[in-house]
Amino acid sequence: MTDAGFWHGRSGLVVPALLAAFTTYLLVGVQTMDVPEGTDFPGPRFFPLILIVLGYLLSALLVLHYLRHPEPVDTGDQDGGQWRTFSDWRAVAWCVGGFLVFALTIELLGWILAAAVLFWCVARGIGSTRPLFDASLALFVASVVYLAFAQGLGLNLPAGILGGF
Amino acid sequence: MESLSLLMEGFAGALTPMNLLWVVVGCLLGTAVGVMPGLGSSMAVALLLPMTFALEPTAAFIMFAGVYFGGLFGDSTMAILMNTPGQASAIASTFEGHRMAKDGRAPQALATAALGAFLGGFSAAVVVVFLAPSLADFAATFGFAEYFALAVFAFVATSSIVGDSVVKGVSALVVGLGIATIGMDPISATERGTLGVPELFDGVSLVTVTVAVLALGEVFHIASRVRRDPKTVAMKAGGRAWLSRAEFREAGPAWARGTAIGLPFGIIPVGGSEVPTFMAYDLERRIDRKRPRPMFGKGAIRGLAAPEAAGNATTGTAMGALLALGLPVSATAAIMLAAFQQYGLQPGPLLFDRAPDLVWSLLASFFVALVVLLIINLPFAQLWAKLLLIPAPYLYGGITVFCGLGVYALSAAQFDLYLLLLIGVVGFVMRRYDVPLAPLMIGIVLGPLAESSLREALLSSDGDYTVLVSSWITWLLYGILALVLVVTVRAKLRARRGADV
Repeated sequence: MTDAGFWHGRSGLVVPALLAAFTTYLLVGVQTMDVPEGTDFPGPRFFPLILIVLGYLLSALLVLHYLRHPEPVDTGDQDGGQWRTFSDWRAVAWCVGGFLVFALTIELLGWILAAAVLFWCVARGIGSTRPLFDASLALFVASVVYLAFAQGLGLNLPAGILGGF
Repeated sequence: MESLSLLMEGFAGALTPMNLLWVVVGCLLGTAVGVMPGLGSSMAVALLLPMTFALEPTAAFIMFAGVYFGGLFGDSTMAILMNTPGQASAIASTFEGHRMAKDGRAPQALATAALGAFLGGFSAAVVVVFLAPSLADFAATFGFAEYFALAVFAFVATSSIVGDSVVKGVSALVVGLGIATIGMDPISATERGTLGVPELFDGVSLVTVTVAVLALGEVFHIASRVRRDPKTVAMKAGGRAWLSRAEFREAGPAWARGTAIGLPFGIIPVGGSEVPTFMAYDLERRIDRKRPRPMFGKGAIRGLAAPEAAGNATTGTAMGALLALGLPVSATAAIMLAAFQQYGLQPGPLLFDRAPDLVWSLLASFFVALVVLLIINLPFAQLWAKLLLIPAPYLYGGITVFCGLGVYALSAAQFDLYLLLLIGVVGFVMRRYDVPLAPLMIGIVLGPLAESSLREALLSSDGDYTVLVSSWITWLLYGILALVLVVTVRAKLRARRGADV
């Protein structure tokens, strides 16, 4: 794997990047905080500040770890068909995208339609190849859940545009 | 014995037809989820957490007890039949258990596991009934410094003992603690880390984080690998599902030893029952080597019996620690703590005084759940394997819909769904790069306790840090922590030197 670029096997750097981003969020929070006058030590900034120091320190350590130990990169022909570090991004995109659509449209479309879309997208992402059957099954599952939980147990689920009929 | 009479009242509360129904429902659901490949009991509890809003507390906790133990039974069924442990605690059972199944002794393996789990859980429940009240009385003397020591204990132990990298474990912990600081600071009523978003004023809901990390992140992770991982096929398990007298004699001592190892670990927060199951397995292997005809590697019944008993013994006493100390020692226990908080109940010493009927009904339901589980698992373990016929796309589609349902039903806010997705993606990234999830859960659950006890202790001492180590209880806790760490480091070094499994 001599021709592999720097990023090969170093995608793990996303972990320290996320940690550093979250730590920065905490830092911004601490700086914009309105602490009331006369608050005794240790005030509301005390604990987050400890976490911020730790967060940046750990990010640095994780960066070091991933620079020194890149993951083994899977090539096309694995013996035994084992893929240790492979991610199927298309499948993940179907699931994440489906959930995003669900979250965006739940109040507009209502539970039944939005949940059916979610079910359909996840099923497709995980490898179902029967879109029409999936769609009917998705509608069926969403409706059963709606009946059981909204009508039966009284949970608060939006009816959406279907509620107008 | 006061405990006994209280327990009898607990049984009276747990054995009402309605509560009995919830136990059975919980056991069935837990076993079903545990049997699903890759799904463990913590996901079962996470998905059911939102149900708590439709049930009254006692019924909900009784159901949770069933789900919790049921998940463990289901996990081991799959560990034996398919070599796919649903939870880290079932890994030790795969070694000898799956080998027994390959040898055509699957029914015996399933029976050994079910009986072991039953015995371990049952002994733990007995221990909890008699010791939890004294533990609660002892914990009632705790001050801020002691609670802080307890929280530090849980943090250090969960983030450094389980998992391969201490840095990753502590990173997950820091994220959990950080999420817990978002929202209103309870001591000074200052808004923290909300960036002015009104939905964050009350903090990030535990349910959202739990469902995101343990369920939605898992679905994303499975989606990312579903076409790459080799297909696993369940072994057929026909024939007699009972043990012969010789097999009983063989497994008996191992069950007892496993239980003995597992019991204390319920109170020592090392991130669940992974450590004791491996310790029990290791002990049996060493004893086995000294025998004239070593059985390990050929499907040794003892190598399965001991970890199963240890796993459930730990799970049982962990519930005791949760009730008496308010200390969750595993991710699943952390979710149960979240459920208590949803009802405005705080597990810990005061719970035994404030809600005795709840506590004792819950303890009684442990016994009921174990009996129910033995009944539905001993003769019917093979039937559960039929659940594998559900096609994966629909199984995970359904799980994702349930994630959305639970979180939306709780808040009726789209904002929480966005948050769920965001944290779910983070959970996926953590799984993809082997960052342990338990420290994050423990951090977010115990974070507020750790912070407020640390600050209150320092406020009362005018900023003098020695207050944190001023009593013998804190000395004891930090001492045990140091001891646990030394033992773990030694065990890890030894494991690196070679294994013959």
